[in-house]
Amino acid sequence: MDDRSSGTWVIVLSLLLAYLLAIVPFPEWALHYRPQWVALVLIYWAMALPYRVGIGTAWVAGLLLDVMEGSVLGLNAMSLAIVVYITLSLHQRLRMFSFLQQSALVLALVGLNMLLVYWVRVGIGQSDSRSLLFLLGAVSSAFIWPLMFVSLRHLRRAFEVH
Amino acid sequence: MAAFITLSAALMFVDSRFDYLDRVRFSIAYVATPVYWMADVPSRISLWIDDVFVSHRDLIEENEELRQELLFAQRELQLLASLTSENNLLRDLQAASEAVRGQVMTAEIINVSNDAGSRRVLINRGYHDGVKEGHAVLDADGLMGQVIEVSPFSSWVLLVVDPRHGTPVQVNRNGERAIARGSRDMVALELEYVPDTADIRTGDLLVSSGLGQRFPKGYPVAEVTQVRHDPGQAFAFVRARPMAQIDRTRHVMLVSVQAVDDPAVRLDTRPLDAWQSMIPSDDETPPEAVSGQESSAETPEEAAEVVE
Repeated sequence: MDDRSSGTWVIVLSLLLAYLLAIVPFPEWALHYRPQWVALVLIYWAMALPYRVGIGTAWVAGLLLDVMEGSVLGLNAMSLAIVVYITLSLHQRLRMFSFLQQSALVLALVGLNMLLVYWVRVGIGQSDSRSLLFLLGAVSSAFIWPLMFVSLRHLRRAFEVH
Repeated sequence: MAAFITLSAALMFVDSRFDYLDRVRFSIAYVATPVYWMADVPSRISLWIDDVFVSHRDLIEENEELRQELLFAQRELQLLASLTSENNLLRDLQAASEAVRGQVMTAEIINVSNDAGSRRVLINRGYHDGVKEGHAVLDADGLMGQVIEVSPFSSWVLLVVDPRHGTPVQVNRNGERAIARGSRDMVALELEYVPDTADIRTGDLLVSSGLGQRFPKGYPVAEVTQVRHDPGQAFAFVRARPMAQIDRTRHVMLVSVQAVDDPAVRLDTRPLDAWQSMIPSDDETPPEAVSGQESSAETPEEAAEVVE
């Protein structure tokens, strides 16, 4: 029991950092390239510790992101829960994948996440974008994934989060 | 899984249609506040570095510039004082009262929405500073937008260039009224339903008309950059560039609009008010418009001032 709850703060801290990176102001030209930090961190933890970070965690994390971004409550909660659900069902295979394969899957997952968010936003009239350029964020997420993976794994091992 | 999706869908539906969830959002926002604050630290540090490492010569130059600007501003203020008194006199003659009066608060932009489909900014004033939904946001050059969502210590502002934002405006030159909506590319404003015969020209200054009780009256909103008459279209196409430094400014002002509650004045002027709105109001030169060269010589009173 004690062993299992060890290092919760590492998970919380990594999520907090992801929030920071998600809302830190970006220059205008780089707006489309912003990786989906929160989604990436959740995917990692769901893959590494599926019994600790699950759909519930993703949902709550998404709700907080909704409030921060000022979008409709439940939007990021839903899309992140779906992303983590898929990750959980694939986590065994995901661990075996090479970085390239992992990145490809991350591209698909983050892309799905962004598309879901985009559809709902346009659907309820909160956003009025007609270009799909924002999907570049999924590409940059896939590019940054190996780095993210290695550093989070390092963190997980250093602080013995099981 | 299905339960989570259903719950999210229900939340989204309720939140987009009704305002029951505003309390919930407000409470969660307390958790988000430190994250906002942290996210703002880098720009704060860079500002601080700018402040600390500035050369003596730059300071002197800036001081000189500011001195000159102040001189100009003071000159215009003098003109303004006489204009105001004249204006008040005319108003008294017509037994009309100034419709709106505002309170001003300064704020800083601390974040920009990362949603490419809307133009919103986050400011560092919220519920605990007395911000309310609907407060107008201005910068030194003109109207920027309005508060659409209030959190404990911050608020979201919808900018005038967002396609879902409409601003009631008036051509400063002749009082022609229109609604200015954000353009599709979200960098300019377009006037809606302007008849082909309307007297609007390139270079005209659009000021807020105060109709709709949202925005204070007479603040510069945009400058007309393009007017196109297409015989195939029912309305003229008018495009305008926002006066506010939408992408550059960090410091903004919040203005709350309050209708003056003076029943005596109200009762007396009711019939006159209705009549008054029918005629173009030449005597209502807004304070800001005085500084614009193109409008300064329009009114006879001002022309007289210049001659003196």
